[in-house]
Amino acid sequence: MAETSILGSARDRVDGKLKVTGAAKYAVEFEVPKCAYAWPVESNIAKGKIAAIDFSAAKSVPGVLTVLTHENAPKPKNPTKPIIPEQLQGIRNEERLPLSDDLVHYAGQYVALVVAETIPAAQYAASLVRVTYTPTEPILNLEAAQKDAKQPARNNNEKVQPKKGDVGKAFADSSLTKIEQTYITPTETHNPIEMSGTIAHWEADDKLTLYDATQFVKGGQSQLAHAWDLPVENVRVICPYVGGAFGCKGAIWPHVLLAATAAKATGVPVKFHLPRKSMFTSAGHRTPTRQTLTLAASSDGKLKGMQHVSQTLTSTVGQFTESCGARSTALMYASDAIKIEETVYPVNVATPTFMRAPGECPGTYALECAMDELAIALKMDPVQLRMVNHAENDPIKDVPFSAKFLKECYQMGAERFGWSKRNPQPGSMKDGDLLVGWGMATKTYPAHKMVAAGKIIYKTDGTATVQCATHDLGTGAYTAFTEISAEQFGIPFEKITFELGKSDYPFGPVAGGSNSTATVGTALHELAGLFHKSLAELAIKDAKSPLFQQKAEEIAMVAPGRIGLRSDRGKSDSYNDLLKRAGRDSLEAESKVGTPEQNKKFTFQSFGADFVEVKIDPLLPRVQVTRVVSVVNGGRIVNAKTARSQILGGVIMGIGMALTETTEYDPMTGLPVTRNLADYHVMTNADAPSIDVAFVGEPDFEFNPIGCRGLGEIGITGIAAAVANAVFHATGKRVRDLPITVDKLLDVA
Amino acid sequence: MNPFSYSRAADPQEAINGIGQNPAAKFLGGGTNLIDLMKMGVETPPHLIDVNRLALAEVEELPNGGGVRIGALVRNSDLAEHALITQRYPMLSEALLAGASPQLRNLATTGGNLLQRTRCYYFYDPAFPQCNKRVPGSGCGALNGFNRVHAILGQSEQCIATNPSDMNVALAALDAVVQVQGSKGARSIPIGDFHRLPGSTPNVETNLQADELITAVDLPAIPFATRSHYLKVRDRASYAFALVSVAAALDLDGRQIKSARVALGGVAHKPWRASKAEQVLAGKEANEQTFRAAAEAELAAAKGYKHNSFKIELAKRAIVSALTAVAGMT
Repeated sequence: MAETSILGSARDRVDGKLKVTGAAKYAVEFEVPKCAYAWPVESNIAKGKIAAIDFSAAKSVPGVLTVLTHENAPKPKNPTKPIIPEQLQGIRNEERLPLSDDLVHYAGQYVALVVAETIPAAQYAASLVRVTYTPTEPILNLEAAQKDAKQPARNNNEKVQPKKGDVGKAFADSSLTKIEQTYITPTETHNPIEMSGTIAHWEADDKLTLYDATQFVKGGQSQLAHAWDLPVENVRVICPYVGGAFGCKGAIWPHVLLAATAAKATGVPVKFHLPRKSMFTSAGHRTPTRQTLTLAASSDGKLKGMQHVSQTLTSTVGQFTESCGARSTALMYASDAIKIEETVYPVNVATPTFMRAPGECPGTYALECAMDELAIALKMDPVQLRMVNHAENDPIKDVPFSAKFLKECYQMGAERFGWSKRNPQPGSMKDGDLLVGWGMATKTYPAHKMVAAGKIIYKTDGTATVQCATHDLGTGAYTAFTEISAEQFGIPFEKITFELGKSDYPFGPVAGGSNSTATVGTALHELAGLFHKSLAELAIKDAKSPLFQQKAEEIAMVAPGRIGLRSDRGKSDSYNDLLKRAGRDSLEAESKVGTPEQNKKFTFQSFGADFVEVKIDPLLPRVQVTRVVSVVNGGRIVNAKTARSQILGGVIMGIGMALTETTEYDPMTGLPVTRNLADYHVMTNADAPSIDVAFVGEPDFEFNPIGCRGLGEIGITGIAAAVANAVFHATGKRVRDLPITVDKLLDVA
Repeated sequence: MNPFSYSRAADPQEAINGIGQNPAAKFLGGGTNLIDLMKMGVETPPHLIDVNRLALAEVEELPNGGGVRIGALVRNSDLAEHALITQRYPMLSEALLAGASPQLRNLATTGGNLLQRTRCYYFYDPAFPQCNKRVPGSGCGALNGFNRVHAILGQSEQCIATNPSDMNVALAALDAVVQVQGSKGARSIPIGDFHRLPGSTPNVETNLQADELITAVDLPAIPFATRSHYLKVRDRASYAFALVSVAAALDLDGRQIKSARVALGGVAHKPWRASKAEQVLAGKEANEQTFRAAAEAELAAAKGYKHNSFKIELAKRAIVSALTAVAGMT
């Protein structure tokens, strides 16, 4: 590995200027000639059959091209979800083909689609479509869904009901301190600024181009190719920028399939850009959860038994499952016995999906609140309780963590926050008339790595273009991958153009599970090896090169722009001298996508610690978070600025989860009622406190050659618990159902 | 959005004539609420008469000493920062700044804010089959639905929606007078008579006639309104409608309350003038017991539903908090 200092600085984003000047072109902003516009008609019943659809009035609106229903929509050749590995071939959480039959499975389901020459015409015509239904009694909550409940053994090929030891024995031991509590989280919706949308353009009968707001261009390509039975290369997906996603653009949703169907039906390109309200029913959400935590510990705080039982919902047309305990509680603390159990209930509600730290986010909320309750029952400091139970090894698999540094997170966080000045007595700390509460929690998120490939086109003018079909969700991926490329290829940062967001490029996986930097970073490392090998092969045949007749495998990059002997770095040659002598003005290298590796020697997992201060007016007890310290081990930090922003965003979203965010449903129709940005309360600038972010630890070279781990999701974990624990510390009231709104604290004063 | 035609009025008479010819037309001011509702398919006017060019954008002192006239087209942001308002009626400035976002306030007009429609979910989204405001006779979806933000005072079985405006609450406390002009001439409507309780006709929200144009809002001289405050309790720190809000002013002689002005927002179909609370306050000493007694008196008739009963206690506390803040002003 070359010694450079490219990584780790707080470099500005390469696309910063494009973003602030509006020059960055988002998927639905591409100008496709003759493009028509789609507007959906949505079901306002949760279950039943379509009896009739009268679209005569809609059809007569000037500019309307067609009204598609289950009766007339062209059907793709393969309506069902492909049975292929999701990581490689795309994700379809909602498995039902839209407009495939007369059945209604949830409120908000698309039951017709108007296509018109203008958006207003399409929208107006959609309002004139009259749908009559034969409704049946919907199943809207887990109580009603008992008989179809499932306990999946695996989720995404990972065991989700892990067990160790005998928790029953620990819970029956009367000498132990035990707590058992149930925690509730509501439905949450991602709400990125950019709504999902797709432009579908059939460039020929068998050639489809999609401009799609997506976290997975290759996935969309595979899914649409499968649906329409096309060679994969006949489908192109383009998405150079994403305006936030948080998981809701990882799968392909009905609008992607319908845009292609509508374009097929009308013979013109069709843009289907979701209105905000549809983002609450047709682009996924986080399921509500009910989680019961049982913890038993000896008087010194050592955990003897931990049980995490979760109940979550999925839809009747999908199987997405939010596994709350398997990758959080199961490896958080050193306990003699651990039992994770989860049950999933299918309901007539739109299909849920990944939302920032799916599973770990609600899971750490429940676990870390329970740990706070246990600390109080034990009369122990909450940080001390966690230190006592620190797990050196993965508690279930009993293998070491690759690089953990959690104790350092606690120590640094406590110090930066001033935790030692905390009076543990609830309600004891004041700021004038305001109650002050300090709470903390552990953060955790798995380190995921998938597979990717890349291509470099190097020119002797010193510039290089590097390509991978990966994504920048607004997180800074363009910048990070340019930096990693600069380091790995030995080419100046300013000379590299990194291209992503196009299915034409070598494979990139879904930008989900915080895997991108590790995955694509690894691919760039491998590609750099190929690139340097190609240069070495020129050198060893070049009599004028100092490396003439050396062995190619002994040659590597020895300095930026130079390859040389590993054993004698003085013997080296510059990229450009080599290429010029060979009469070339460029050199290309391209890698192939490999198979995912299984490293069973380590558990790869990131950890961190949050410390939160809240202030509450006891008379009008709306919680205000005033201070957060968040310390994270994320391996090697590629870019200090974008890394910090990831944690800031996660913390703020976590505060929203704790205090305000909830998608509420109408009990009669099953429709969401808080389905716009005025009623679904994400945090505003005025809500955002001072946030101190710090990173600790060392590069994790066991995990990948860059040493980095993802940071997109760990930021949101733990925060809701730290806020809830701070609220308890301020008030003495334990709120176990989120969000903690003013009405839940009125009995405090 | 339904197709509509558009015209621009040069003066109030032209606007009034226009609406006389097409009673289903709507005046277009800032459009921050009307256009939103048109996009949602809730409002479907066949014609819009743009009144933005009318010469009604001034804030001026009334001739008879102390009062202020606010032109109907004065933008919320301009009004909030106007010296006559910040000095004489600070509660109005605070109420305006507590509402919406800077971008919306830059467009929203005084007249339009008076006519702002409810944020009841069942009204705002035509996907819901029930709403007596949107489809008279269809029932109230909120009554047995999700009703966390709904009314606790003055509501009916036909409608439990609230008036969402912050400005209106301050205007109610200040005894504002709405100046209107119509085909039958000009008239003045006291703010208390401007908005209506829902009764059995929640679709009729004000006593403004279809052919009447709001031209101005007059604020009477209230010297003690310099000692006033608008308190808004909401789910987040900015850009959220009030769960409850209080506009309060106290006329104090030492610690003795000579008279009080109190109005509530977020609790009723109209900005709720808290006259019962004012009666309790008059003549009493300004202290927490007095404030609590006033709040109890005002909320005695309150009725909550499945998700909003907390508003009753919250409103009482907001009254105490707002009055405490006003009493503590120097």
